[in-house]
Amino acid sequence: MPMNRRALLRSTAAAIVPAIGGFPLIGRAANRPYTYGGSAWLGHYSAYIAIKTGIFSKKGLEIKWQSFPTSSDRMGAVMAGSIDLAGTGVVSSLALMAAGASQFKVIATPNNFGRAEGLLVRSNVSNIAQLKGKKIGVTFASSTHVLVLDLLKQAGMNPDSDVSLINLPAPNLLSAYQGNQIDAAAAWTPSFDRIKALPNTRVLADDTSFSLYKEYSITPGPDVLLATTKLAKEDPAAIKTFLQGIFEANAMLTNAPEEAAKVLIEITGLTLEEQVNTIKQTGWYSAEQQRSLLVAPGSFVTGMQKLAEMLVSLKQIDKAPVVRNWLDAGYL
Amino acid sequence: MAEVVKPRKSAGSLAWLSVLSLLGFLAAWELICRSGAVDPIFLPPPSQVWARASTMFGQGTLLGHVLASTRRVMVGFLAAAAVAIPLGIWLGTSRIARAIFDPVISFLRPLPSMSWIPLSLLWFGINETQKYSIVFMGSFVPALLYVMEATRSIDPLLIRAARNLGAQRWQVMREVLLPGCLPQIISGMKIILGLSWTCVISAELVAAKEGLGFMIMNGKEFFQTDTVVLGMVLISFTVLATDLVVRALERWLLAWQR
Repeated sequence: MPMNRRALLRSTAAAIVPAIGGFPLIGRAANRPYTYGGSAWLGHYSAYIAIKTGIFSKKGLEIKWQSFPTSSDRMGAVMAGSIDLAGTGVVSSLALMAAGASQFKVIATPNNFGRAEGLLVRSNVSNIAQLKGKKIGVTFASSTHVLVLDLLKQAGMNPDSDVSLINLPAPNLLSAYQGNQIDAAAAWTPSFDRIKALPNTRVLADDTSFSLYKEYSITPGPDVLLATTKLAKEDPAAIKTFLQGIFEANAMLTNAPEEAAKVLIEITGLTLEEQVNTIKQTGWYSAEQQRSLLVAPGSFVTGMQKLAEMLVSLKQIDKAPVVRNWLDAGYL
Repeated sequence: MAEVVKPRKSAGSLAWLSVLSLLGFLAAWELICRSGAVDPIFLPPPSQVWARASTMFGQGTLLGHVLASTRRVMVGFLAAAAVAIPLGIWLGTSRIARAIFDPVISFLRPLPSMSWIPLSLLWFGINETQKYSIVFMGSFVPALLYVMEATRSIDPLLIRAARNLGAQRWQVMREVLLPGCLPQIISGMKIILGLSWTCVISAELVAAKEGLGFMIMNGKEFFQTDTVVLGMVLISFTVLATDLVVRALERWLLAWQR
């Protein structure tokens, strides 16, 4: 039967209205699995292990893993409400705090790493000053970018005129360094380990050379765990269970690094030996340590605030947010 | 029955209408943002974008971004046009050449400029040539197809008539083909120039320190959406400015058409 325009509009409306009406119900479905945004970076080891070894599911929490290449992509997904929980380098979250974002809360910090990222150079370079006039490959807006800017500042060098900073995504650093297109590379694990393993290459500086690390034991981009404000309102118990799972995974990383490494190599692509070394050189916080870091005396929060102020002085963000306003340690 | 004839609007009044439309759009945008209906992280108001532009102009970085991208677009686009125009005319006039090159063109045609990034990094490193090559590869095949189509659209009767009148191959090219397809080639190049600007965003994703694409991506990393919107606005303005130059060139080249 031929359909006139009115009939066509009526049937289209009949199809669309229930679809639109039903759409919010999908979002409101009870006991839905929550999504965690991560990557191969060690800040996400705890969540990955808790997912893969069934720690979360034993606690009745279903968490799905979603990979993102950069922290900013991950935070974009947090802002859009596409993921519920995430780990991130703090630079991205500080940038959002500076912009006044209210869509997330910082709920914990999973680890302390000082030697998993740094500035790699040819063996004949022994100090920062020798990099004058050289090309340094670094991923802009990352923790290693902050580290390089701080190292240059400590050496009294101008990042705009004394060296040439080349913006390269983390996966491109290895090939650019191998191809002699850059003289130095600022990278984090696993790229950091791969470049470090190259002949005639050494670590010129790692996070322990960062000025705030010396004073507050804070790295240029410490990892934080986030939950969306929406999840915090709708299902705070899920956040508590999530953190319990994270600390259980941290205990495994501390006490059984070989066992944890076997799970992690499928995502990092490191050899078992490299993976074990990366785990062992990182400190994995327990729930008890969290309280002293985030609540009293709260040295981590103080360090984050100092980092925010440093980012302003390094012209990375416009203003320093009051970090404590985004912190919620009530789920510990 | 007497026909009602509406008075024609003058060019001046139409221009005012366009200006008022633009101002109305900006005012509505500003009001929506200021009302709190939209979070400024998702969409900053025009006043915030303007403030960012003033700051960056004061720091002396804004012009550098515009010039860097314009240079990359122009070099990549001109190189693509320089190769595509003669090659396209040849392919448009020779069935044998088309049979040889068509499979390669069909293979290259769907590839977006971004897909060339890994290979271009290996071939050219992280210097400016790599960025020119991305713009070139993103613009070349579409330009080639425009020129081929423009050449093939010439009425074969005109070519046969010229040949019957004793015109040599070069004379047919100069007197019939080129004048016939030039307007269409220039129209195509105007579109390709716009396309080159989309390629420069891909080109500046990797190993760039300046440029509007870099500015947008860096703004995105720090969630400075005012910087992102400013970059987008500047791309539009720069494309409009280059379009004016191309139109002037078109008027000069096609003066015989008027």
